[in-house]
Order: sequence, then C-alpha cells, then structure tokens
Amino acid sequence: MKTESKLMRYLVPSVLILIGAGFIVYGATDGEAAAVIKKAIAICMECIGLG
Amino acid sequence: MKKIILWLFGLDEAALADPATLAGVIASFVMIAAVLVMFAVLLAKKRLRIHRWGNKVWQRTKLLIQSGFFILTNSFMVGWFKGTIYQGKLKFMCVPGMNCYSCPGAWGACPIGAMQAIFDEFDAKKSWFDPVSGTYVQAPLYWIAFYVIGILMIIGALCGRLVCGLLCPFGWVQDLIYKIPVKKLKLPREPRLIEKTKNPRATRFLLGLDKYARLLKYAFLIVMAVFLPLMVKANPWFCKYICPSGMLLGGIPLMSMNAGLAAAAGKLTLQKILILAFIVILSLFIYRPFCRYICPLGAIYSFFNKFSLYKYGIDDSKCNRCKGCSACANSCPMGVDPVKDPNSPECIRCGTCNAKCPQKAIHAGFRTKTPEGSAIRTRKSK
Ligand code: SF4
Ligand code: SF4
Repeated sequence: MKTESKLMRYLVPSVLILIGAGFIVYGATDGEAAAVIKKAIAICMECIGLG
Repeated sequence: MKKIILWLFGLDEAALADPATLAGVIASFVMIAAVLVMFAVLLAKKRLRIHRWGNKVWQRTKLLIQSGFFILTNSFMVGWFKGTIYQGKLKFMCVPGMNCYSCPGAWGACPIGAMQAIFDEFDAKKSWFDPVSGTYVQAPLYWIAFYVIGILMIIGALCGRLVCGLLCPFGWVQDLIYKIPVKKLKLPREPRLIEKTKNPRATRFLLGLDKYARLLKYAFLIVMAVFLPLMVKANPWFCKYICPSGMLLGGIPLMSMNAGLAAAAGKLTLQKILILAFIVILSLFIYRPFCRYICPLGAIYSFFNKFSLYKYGIDDSKCNRCKGCSACANSCPMGVDPVKDPNSPECIRCGTCNAKCPQKAIHAGFRTKTPEGSAIRTRKSK
C-alpha cells in the first residue's frame, strides 16, 4: 500500500503556502493589487456582456 | 465606528442620507450576522463530520454552507438595492470561487478576472512586436500575475478543489439546477455496469468523450485566460466572450436594475446570454458541465488536489470493494472513483462518496491516520 510519509503530507503544502505568500507580497508591492482594485471597483463592461 | 463602517463600505457620509443606502448597510450587517450564526450552529452540532450523519443530512449541510458562503461574499446589499457595485478598499482581495466582481453584492474580486486585469496592464515605456496585429504595440507590464497566483496557491495548498465543492457560487448554482427532477445523463464507470447498459458501445463512447472533453478547461485557462489577455490588450477574453458567471451574477442583475446599462445591450450580450442558457440547460442533465469542461479556475485548483493539506483518503483496512460494493464510485457526481484515486484532479470534494460509504472507509481532512489508528491512503491504488 502506498502511503505518503508525514513529512511529504505536510511539507509540500506548507512550502506552497509560503511561496504563495511570497508571491502575494511581491505582486502587491509591484502594483498588481492596484491593477486588480482599479478593474474591480468599476463595472466591468466585458464581464456583464456590454463591452 | 461610523468612520470604519463608511471605509468598509466605500461610502461617504452624505451617501448615508439616502434611505436605500442606509437600508443596504443595515441589511448587510444582518445578513452577515445571520450567516455567521448559522455556521456556528453547524460547527456546534458537528455537522461537518460527513459520515456521521449520512448522505441526506450532508447534502442539506452542504447546501447551507454553499448558500452561506455566497451570502457572506455577496452581501454588499447597497449594490443589490441600488443596482451598483461595491467600490470600497476590500475589493483588492480575491474570493476563492468564480464570483464576478461586477456582481452588485460582491465584496471581493474574481481570481480569473483579476488575473486578466493584471495581464491587461501595459508598459508605457516599452513596445514590442505584436504577432496578432502584426504591428509594434506597448508591451505587457506583467508577464506573470504573481499576486493572483500567490492567492490561488495558498487556497489550493490549503484545500484544493474543496472550493469547487463548497465555496464557489457558480458551482452552487449548477448544483441547484441539477436538483430539478428530470432524467439525468449519468454514466456508469465499472465495466460490469457498462455491459449492463442498453448500448454498451455508446456508453463507452460517451465515457471517452467526457474524459477528453474535461481537458478543454485547461485549454480555456491557457488560451482565453492567459495567452490572449496577455497578447491582445483591453480584452479580458474569458470574461468577455465566455464567462456565464459574469452574466448571471453581474450582467443580469445590473441590467435589470439599471436602465442605462440595459439600453447598451447588444450582440455580445446576446452571445453571453446564449452561453449562460446553454450551460443552464446542460446542468439539468449533466452534473456541473461548466466545472467539468470549461472553468479555468477549477483547472488551476485541480493541480492542487494532490498537494493540499486537506485531502481525501481511504482506510484500506475497512474498504471492502472486493465484495463489489463501490457505493462511492457509483454515487460520485463527477464520475471519480475515490478508491482508485482519492485525490483525483476531477474530485471537487463534495463529500457525497464520504457520506455514502457504508464502511466509513473514506476520510476527508488533515490526518494521516484514522482515530482507530489505521493508515489513510491518500495516493492512487496500485
Ligand atoms: S470548477 Fe470553476 S465554476 Fe466550478 S466550482 Fe470550481 S471554480 Fe466554481
Ligand atoms: S470522489 Fe467523492 S468528494 Fe470527490 S467529487 Fe466524487 S463524490 Fe465528491
């Protein structure tokens, strides 16, 4: 029977979470979060089928 | 306190003088409080222990969680009352599911829309040869959407496609439509059952078609949500030409409340309404057609099922599949066999197999061992 070792079971997702957090910080400081909010606070004409 | 509320709602003091806005703010608080109480009750009653309660109770619990999460993330009631959208500071955050940021109640941004918004930014100082138009245009500012990928990585590494099963509003809508009692197109998986169907050849053909059509969602992700938005500016391709969630949660409510927007409806509106209608009709007969074949967000989360903290697993010491039970595989609405692959990319972690297993051999959660001490297998069976 193939069972995952405890280390792999928890290590891989934990590393992914840490890398994800790093990406968020990097992206946000690079102006990506600003691009998101700029788009999200105006009615998106393309999304609602008008644009 | 008032200042915080105004900041949270993205309103100014004068806006509260309008009775509809004030009613919207109060209604938002009431709805959020009601949902939080409901979640607390579900937790207190231990209703999340899926196999303790059986499938009937679990399906009801699941519906409550889905509805509750929809209300929680779409309870900007000012938008619903006035036909506008939320414009406050919280909107830089992405919600986990396909939830259009132009939904009048949405507090957060849709990750797929947000990703395309980032790709849509261009570098004012740099131009490059655009292979699509054949001319020199301004180059994309971001080639990788780190911010959104980071958010999706964290959500995916925590729970994988549990988002699809329990938290996504468009998944919830398809679940509700599938509840309408008409004859369903459900294909058997096991060779023994396939041979028993009226036309085994046709069944095998449909099974093959379903298997390969599921790959389409990866093509939608790569082409419509990444490649084209990067290459052709001012066009969030997936949102603009396909997304039925945007039409249902954003387009229809806004246009029905806002005459100006309704007057602007045209060919594209019709195209998107037809796509939505097609998905709705298909959802009557097939379980979650959008999630199976189209959704780019589901495609992203599917990579995380095998690497998430929350996982499905099998207690092989209890599973008596050898006796030909297979209640799990036969009940899975996504056509997955959880004993063969408990963390299949197609599994949306809806819990149906878990609730139906008479042996209580399926486990969902963070453990590596059952409370009785047997090992939980999270990998594919040999
Ligand atoms: S596949 Fe897409 S639409 Fe379906 S539940 Fe998952 S995120 Fe939502
Ligand atoms: S394998 Fe189980 S949890 Fe996964 S989709 Fe099928 S029934 Fe739902």
